[in-house]
Amino acid sequence: MSAEIVATDRLACSYREGSVLEDISFTVAAGDYVGIVGPNGSGKSTLVQALLGLVPISAGSARLFGARCDGFSQWGRVGYLPQSLHLLNPIFPASVAETVGLGLLSLKKFPRRFTRHDRAIVDELLNELDIYDIRAKLIGELSGGQQQRVLLARALVNKPELLILDEPTAALDPETRERFYRMIADINRSRGVTVLLVTHDSGVIGQHASKMLYLDKRMLFYGSFDDFCHSAEMSNLFGEYSQHLMCHRH
Amino acid sequence: MNLIEILSYGFIQRALLAGTLIAVLCSVLGVFLVLRRLSLIGDGLAHVTFGSTAIALALKFYSAASLLVSLPIVLLASLGILKLTERGRLSGDAAIGIVSAVGISAGIMLASVGGGYNVDLLSYLFGNILSISYEEVLIAVALFCVVMLLLGLFFNDLLAVTFNEELARVSGVSTHLISAVLVMLTALSVVLAMKLVGIMLISSLLILPAVSALQLALSFRACIALAALQGCCSVVAGIFVSFVTNLPTSATIVLLNLFCFACACGLRRLITISRNKQVA
Amino acid sequence: MKRIVIWIVTALTVGATLVLAGCSRGEQRVSSKLQVVTTLFPLYDFARTIAGERAEVTMLLPPGMEPHSFEPKPNDIIRISKAGLFIYTNRYMEPWAEQILKGIDSKRLRVVDAGQGVAYMKAAASDEHDHDGHGSHGAAGQAAVMDPHIWLDFTNAAQMADTILAGFVTADPANAVYYRTRAGELKVALAALDQRYREGLSSCASREFLHGGHFTFGYLARRYGLEYHSLSGIASESEPSAAKMAAMVQEIKSSGVRYLFAEELLSPRLTETLANEAGVAVLKLYGAHNLGKDDLQRGVTFIGLMEQNLLNLQKGLACRPK
Repeated sequence: MSAEIVATDRLACSYREGSVLEDISFTVAAGDYVGIVGPNGSGKSTLVQALLGLVPISAGSARLFGARCDGFSQWGRVGYLPQSLHLLNPIFPASVAETVGLGLLSLKKFPRRFTRHDRAIVDELLNELDIYDIRAKLIGELSGGQQQRVLLARALVNKPELLILDEPTAALDPETRERFYRMIADINRSRGVTVLLVTHDSGVIGQHASKMLYLDKRMLFYGSFDDFCHSAEMSNLFGEYSQHLMCHRH
Repeated sequence: MNLIEILSYGFIQRALLAGTLIAVLCSVLGVFLVLRRLSLIGDGLAHVTFGSTAIALALKFYSAASLLVSLPIVLLASLGILKLTERGRLSGDAAIGIVSAVGISAGIMLASVGGGYNVDLLSYLFGNILSISYEEVLIAVALFCVVMLLLGLFFNDLLAVTFNEELARVSGVSTHLISAVLVMLTALSVVLAMKLVGIMLISSLLILPAVSALQLALSFRACIALAALQGCCSVVAGIFVSFVTNLPTSATIVLLNLFCFACACGLRRLITISRNKQVA
Repeated sequence: MKRIVIWIVTALTVGATLVLAGCSRGEQRVSSKLQVVTTLFPLYDFARTIAGERAEVTMLLPPGMEPHSFEPKPNDIIRISKAGLFIYTNRYMEPWAEQILKGIDSKRLRVVDAGQGVAYMKAAASDEHDHDGHGSHGAAGQAAVMDPHIWLDFTNAAQMADTILAGFVTADPANAVYYRTRAGELKVALAALDQRYREGLSSCASREFLHGGHFTFGYLARRYGLEYHSLSGIASESEPSAAKMAAMVQEIKSSGVRYLFAEELLSPRLTETLANEAGVAVLKLYGAHNLGKDDLQRGVTFIGLMEQNLLNLQKGLACRPK
């Protein structure tokens, strides 16, 4: 059993319209913080969705914790924060506490019931993330930043070993964004949670991530941020000026 | 006529008992259905029940035996609706419309091609809350127990799937199974309860208590409770009010539900206004 | 791709089958005999009795269907237009008839309004007393609707037989004598039926009969001096209110009758509920608008149904046999 949290081998995904991902092979070790970047339509979201078994794989394989992604069952070890675009039904009558509590389902067997102990865990986490005072509010009534924190709490409540975030800050203002990333970095450092973060913002990668995966349907680069910035190959690919921009955004 | 006298009639007692049980289970199912944009599924499945009963009668399965034919067909239809929304990239309402159209046209086709029946098809389908027999009360009780038990066992899974399917899947909930359970329970309720209280009541009870509760609820559990409460009260009040005013009972119950919805909207508006005032 | 092809083939096959089934049903044997189309069962029965072997009579209403909700299909309209004689009851029973007839342009077609010449009763509201057929004065704003169930008074039925005979004679004068003879026999039978009813219902313990269906037997009640109450109004769709049902239960209990009469064809749920509540038994009473498939195949006749009705009425009203 290797310490590989995520491992893909020539992974490919395609829809009826054409292929979205081709020949993706990389591994992620425990404690890594991997930023996944690429232009629009590059397949970033599809990659993490494939890892989670949410979209079908057309070729190759993907493994989480050494187990295949289709038929994966150790959901208690995973936390996921999907893209917020089509996420929330604004009239959904769930309180913050109820929403976060749902994240504990991955730890339970049928019939899944919530106990007082569960409520205590939820409260504790809400406190940590500073959203305890809105615990009774309906999720549809919250601001964008608050909603993100609630969904992050849901992803973390089952104390996952792997946290996957898909463009979590797209709808946030810069200050909130900064706070969010600092939170994630803190979770990665202090709790040793492996993080996969899909983002547009390469500046973030430079600041926090330990590795970077650049893809545009195919894997163009996988390694540390420093390597990316000093790579002649990347320079050729993007042009020196673009590379400079990407590397010196902080 | 006073309360005691009204309650002395057996058909009123049975209407109250079976009616409230059916109202509660429809209201609770309705919350999940409305949130998943499947609110018209009651109507759609009722049309399929019509078609399947035509098939049953054509095959000479009468009264209770016709259920042996209709129930599997309606259950399959409900799964078909689900499949259409998943694979066919159709939204819930379009999928329901398709299946509903198939059901009712099949029924009408059969009724005319089949060379007639021994009884009037339509009158056998649409029940009347005032004509519930003792055996049918038992059916209502059994249905209530089955539906509530399953909803209770799967409650958190249903909540997760209704909230967001992707997140539910990543929490280990088997979304296909849970969705199937929801629509099949609805199908079962429609087929059995339609005979008892008729299509208008079923359809309304699946939608109206839920949408009223959604206006006011502060949490999901509160929402379920409010919907159930409205369903139950509207049936009880509806039966008494219709008695006293000599109006048709089913329609009275539906109107009471509409009244509750209007009140819920009004209340919500008041709350929002007062909240804005507080902030300002 | 393959699945799409399979779906298309299946759809086409089903469609073709249905069309063929429909076509084959529409085939009519070309015959030189007079073609007669009737609407309700009593008309059908009278017409086929008069017609004997010299004309072909069909009924528009499919077996088992409740006539108050009947809407003619294109095939039906074609059948009428191709016939030599079309017989309907009256414009209250078949409101669609006159509309259709306007659209049919056939010189050959003779139309018979079988209810011509009959003295119509106003329809009464279902829960008001209607001893002599006057509508309830309390019914707010209800337009005066006539009770269409004229055939249940057998003197009316005889009148209808005459009207139908006139139609036959006009449409097929060659066989006029034949038809007249048979019509004469029919009227004798109807008169005998009327006589049996008068005798059979002359000395009964109760003169009130209660019906869980819609308001059908007004004419019959009037003819034999009975009091008649029904749960629903003229049209069978009206959903009775809870208060009306309770009132009916009270009526049953206070009148002391031991039987409640049920309507054929419609779901007996309401009648059974009332009977249960009031602790009485249920007896069937044929309105004879239409028949179930099995009854039709067995060759049941109008007079046959009315004899059964007489037996049930005698039982229900506890009549002493003469």
